[in-house]
Amino acid sequence: MLQMTDVCKVFRTELVETHALKNLSLTVNEGEFVTITGPSGCGKTTFLNIAGLLETMTSGEYLLDGVDVSQLSDYQRAKLRNQKIGFIFQSFNLMPDLNLFDNIDVPLRYRGMKASERKQRIDRALESVGLLARKKHLPAQLSGGQQQRVAIARALVGDPLFLLADEPTGNLDSNTAKGVMELLQEINQAGTTIIMVTHDQELANQSPRNIHILDGSISDAGAALRNQPTSAVDAVA
Amino acid sequence: MEIGPILRAMTRNKLGVVLIALQIAFTMTVMINAIFIINERNRMMARPSGADEANLFHFTSIGFGEDYNERIVVADDLAMIRQLPGVVNASTTNAIPVSGSGSSTGVRLEFDESQPSVGVAIYRTDDQLINTLNLDLLAGEGFTESDMRYRSESGATLADKTVVSRAAAENLFPDMPLNQIVGETVFLPGGVEVQIIGIVETLQAPWPQSSLIERSMIVPEMFVDTFSLYVVRTEPGERDRVMAEIEDLLLTENSNRVLRSLRSLEDTREETYRIDSAMSTVLWIIIITLVFITCMGIVGLAVFGINRRRKQIGTRRALGATRPEILRHFMVENLLITSVGVLVGAALTIGFSIVLTTNFNMPTMAWYYTPLGMLALMLIGQIAVLGPSSGAAKIEPAIATRSV
Amino acid sequence: MFLYYLRLSTLSYKRNPILSSLMVLAVAIGIGAYMVIYTLNYTMGGNPIPQKSAQLFHVQLDTGDPNRDNDPPEQLTYLDAMALLDASLAQRQTASSKFTAIVEPANPEIRPMITNNRGVMADFFSMFDVPFLYGRGWDSSADDNLEQVVVLSREMNERLYGGADSVGENLVMNSEVFHVVGVLDDWQPVPKFYDVNNGPFDPGEDLLVPWHHIVDKDYGRAGNTNCWKAIDGTGLQAFLNSECTWIQFWVELPNAGEEQAYLDFLNSYAAEQKQLGRFGRPLNNALFDVEEWMIEQEVLPDETQILSALAAMLLAVCLLNTIGLLLSKFLGKSAEIGVRQALGAHKGSLFIQHVIEAGFIGLLGGLLGLGVAALGLEGIKILLGQDVMVTDWIQLNVPVVFVTIVLAIASTIVAGLYPIWRACNINPAIHLKTQ
Repeated sequence: MLQMTDVCKVFRTELVETHALKNLSLTVNEGEFVTITGPSGCGKTTFLNIAGLLETMTSGEYLLDGVDVSQLSDYQRAKLRNQKIGFIFQSFNLMPDLNLFDNIDVPLRYRGMKASERKQRIDRALESVGLLARKKHLPAQLSGGQQQRVAIARALVGDPLFLLADEPTGNLDSNTAKGVMELLQEINQAGTTIIMVTHDQELANQSPRNIHILDGSISDAGAALRNQPTSAVDAVA
Repeated sequence: MEIGPILRAMTRNKLGVVLIALQIAFTMTVMINAIFIINERNRMMARPSGADEANLFHFTSIGFGEDYNERIVVADDLAMIRQLPGVVNASTTNAIPVSGSGSSTGVRLEFDESQPSVGVAIYRTDDQLINTLNLDLLAGEGFTESDMRYRSESGATLADKTVVSRAAAENLFPDMPLNQIVGETVFLPGGVEVQIIGIVETLQAPWPQSSLIERSMIVPEMFVDTFSLYVVRTEPGERDRVMAEIEDLLLTENSNRVLRSLRSLEDTREETYRIDSAMSTVLWIIIITLVFITCMGIVGLAVFGINRRRKQIGTRRALGATRPEILRHFMVENLLITSVGVLVGAALTIGFSIVLTTNFNMPTMAWYYTPLGMLALMLIGQIAVLGPSSGAAKIEPAIATRSV
Repeated sequence: MFLYYLRLSTLSYKRNPILSSLMVLAVAIGIGAYMVIYTLNYTMGGNPIPQKSAQLFHVQLDTGDPNRDNDPPEQLTYLDAMALLDASLAQRQTASSKFTAIVEPANPEIRPMITNNRGVMADFFSMFDVPFLYGRGWDSSADDNLEQVVVLSREMNERLYGGADSVGENLVMNSEVFHVVGVLDDWQPVPKFYDVNNGPFDPGEDLLVPWHHIVDKDYGRAGNTNCWKAIDGTGLQAFLNSECTWIQFWVELPNAGEEQAYLDFLNSYAAEQKQLGRFGRPLNNALFDVEEWMIEQEVLPDETQILSALAAMLLAVCLLNTIGLLLSKFLGKSAEIGVRQALGAHKGSLFIQHVIEAGFIGLLGGLLGLGVAALGLEGIKILLGQDVMVTDWIQLNVPVVFVTIVLAIASTIVAGLYPIWRACNINPAIHLKTQ
């Protein structure tokens, strides 16, 4: 479903050339719950941005749902993000001026869906995170955990191919974080593929598959295990 | 289109909306009323005086000394000027159109002085003025030498014939064909009876602001004192040459006089309408300044708003918004704000125009000024916000995953 | 503390030079444009003789056409002017009319010239505080005895005598010799209140002579002559006896009692004249003091009144703009404000700091606005030219400079009130935690 081969990302300024990702190869299959870990600056965020089509890569191959996305235009990538990827951000990234309903509406609007269908989907998504009663509220009126649930509902509302979660519990206290993790696991069990970036090794250990990135690449072990996606640990530094 | 959510978000940023909307409203009020004033002045300035202004010039001659005889001097002057190469004709008159100074009188259909009269400008001239000014004679005929009357003391009009402007004729005899008006008799103050022998299409009164601007009459009568106003028509292109020579020629002929105000009728017109054209220029400067300031305000607040929402924009991009969709988002947002502005602006514009009409003798503004103004301001708003919006569209989606 | 805040203001300006300069520009344009129009209104609609304006009265007698309902004539007929002069009931009084004449200079190098002149009476000079460079006016005996005396404008004295003291010289006007008794200093009241009928912004006259000469020598009258009734007969005497109005008449009445007494006199005079078949309209005589007369005659042009409304809206737009820009600027400083609050600044001191910062922007805007105003006034002067009206007075003056600076500072602070309020109420905790 997601297949990266020898992906490189180089940031160039006039003085330095930084290799954020070096020949990274990774395959994620449908229904998996993959966690990505690694120390600060290891390339986690770059991996996330490339996997989520937020950034282009310098070289390599990336097949998403069997389609080569390396040559797509900005417009096509935006459309793919909208239809196939659900994002969950560390700081939730809700629109502070929009109420919950309008927040979840955002990706559907860009899909050009009919109003009645949008409403149906939004209500269902809000219900699934237990916040249907508060759909007219503004994000600021919610707790952090509730806000992240709204963000999860927003990520799910378009029925994406997979969820990309960037430190989804990073801004939450441990109790709330646990709740959010449980919600994500439920979602995964219901059939949605999840790729989660985190610096929390303990959290990563709970997931069936953990990938460790160090200095922009995954260890050989990860490459060797590419064909055995159920293995618990792909890579160790 | 996502007008609903944009509107709901706008209500949470009322100040920004109010600031821009009010600027738009004031700008529209000033712009539309100023353009209306400019158009009115231009319309006023564009009215023809009836005279062939491009080829006319005029000057005054004031005689002094014991033996100065104006009647002889004027006859000699006119004879001399008329035979100059490049000159078509010359006349003496008490006034000329667009100059701002002249005489008016009341014309009645009856002898009885208690009857209402029609106010007209009165041109007391020699028998050639119609030809000299190159007026368009619609009906009847002009004067001959035998129609001329001369006098040296003030008092009632001596002439018994007159040529009137079409507007004066129609005002005196509404619903009567012009051909029938010729031959009618009217009365001037003092019970003086004059016959209308001709009608010219246009001959403006000398005062541009006057309500009787289009109504005038010409009488073949010359006041003999020491003050003579001459008007001269030249062949096209010859005016400036003749003007340059005429002063010396006249002083050679008779030096017991002072010549003054030698100028072309075009210059006189420019001077008469100087305040109006100055007003138009000042209004244009105000309009341009205002539009500039308002655009600056729109750009400033848009950039501020976009910078404040960079992460939101990135998130929208991450959630699948394409660049054109982001661009459209901000264009629509601006359109909604300017719509509020032009609605308030329409009310202000009409209100201010009513103030102008009631206090300053301005005509009522045509209905289409306001809707055109609304459209123009919306367009200006869209153009102003185009730059900031395309800047917003360039924001990278990856900003959404940055932690600050 | 004030100096400390002023220094913070300059630092803040430097930190956001573009935003700050935009604000200064907006204030400068708004204030500058407004002050241009304000200057026009201030002078054109101002009081040209404030020290005496309440004691000087223009006399208006309603001798108009009984068959019409128009405004009363602004000027007087010869019959009435003479009657008022004969009665001589005011403390001071003068008839005043314009005429043109030809002056033949003694110097053969200078060609004869047409001059714009005014016939006035001895009291004219003292009534209107007319300044003299050389000599003085004439006595009322000169009026009564038709003495051939003349007062020159400063400019005419330059042209005829090269600016020298010409008192005692002889001047030939319309072939007759006049004795120079005085030369005026610069005197150009704006508006030209003593004769607004002929143009409230017209230049002053070249020569002043005793008014009775106009009739005595049948000079060429200039300015408006209005006759509602045909002149009965021909010749000068018929004109003098007619209902034609052409004489302006001013009286000086030192107090309200005298004003009432003079108005009573006018009304009883009109009643008397009614017996003779004149004054066919209902009694409607009036005394207008200088300011009332300027308003009655609508001296302030429509143009400047309309422009002042438009300029006020331009200023409003500029200030709205400033509000937006200040808001951006102050909210952009949230972090700094948070730190200051954490370090012990209370709301009052933050408020003062930002008021001073707004005032500083206003001051710069006002200073630049003075430049805009000076430029604008120069532009207006060029647009109007020298030949249509007197424009020398169109320039910045002390009160205008003062008003400009004060208005700029005050309006910027007012525009800044909401942004300042927002800035002072920033929650420090938010900005100290995440950034």
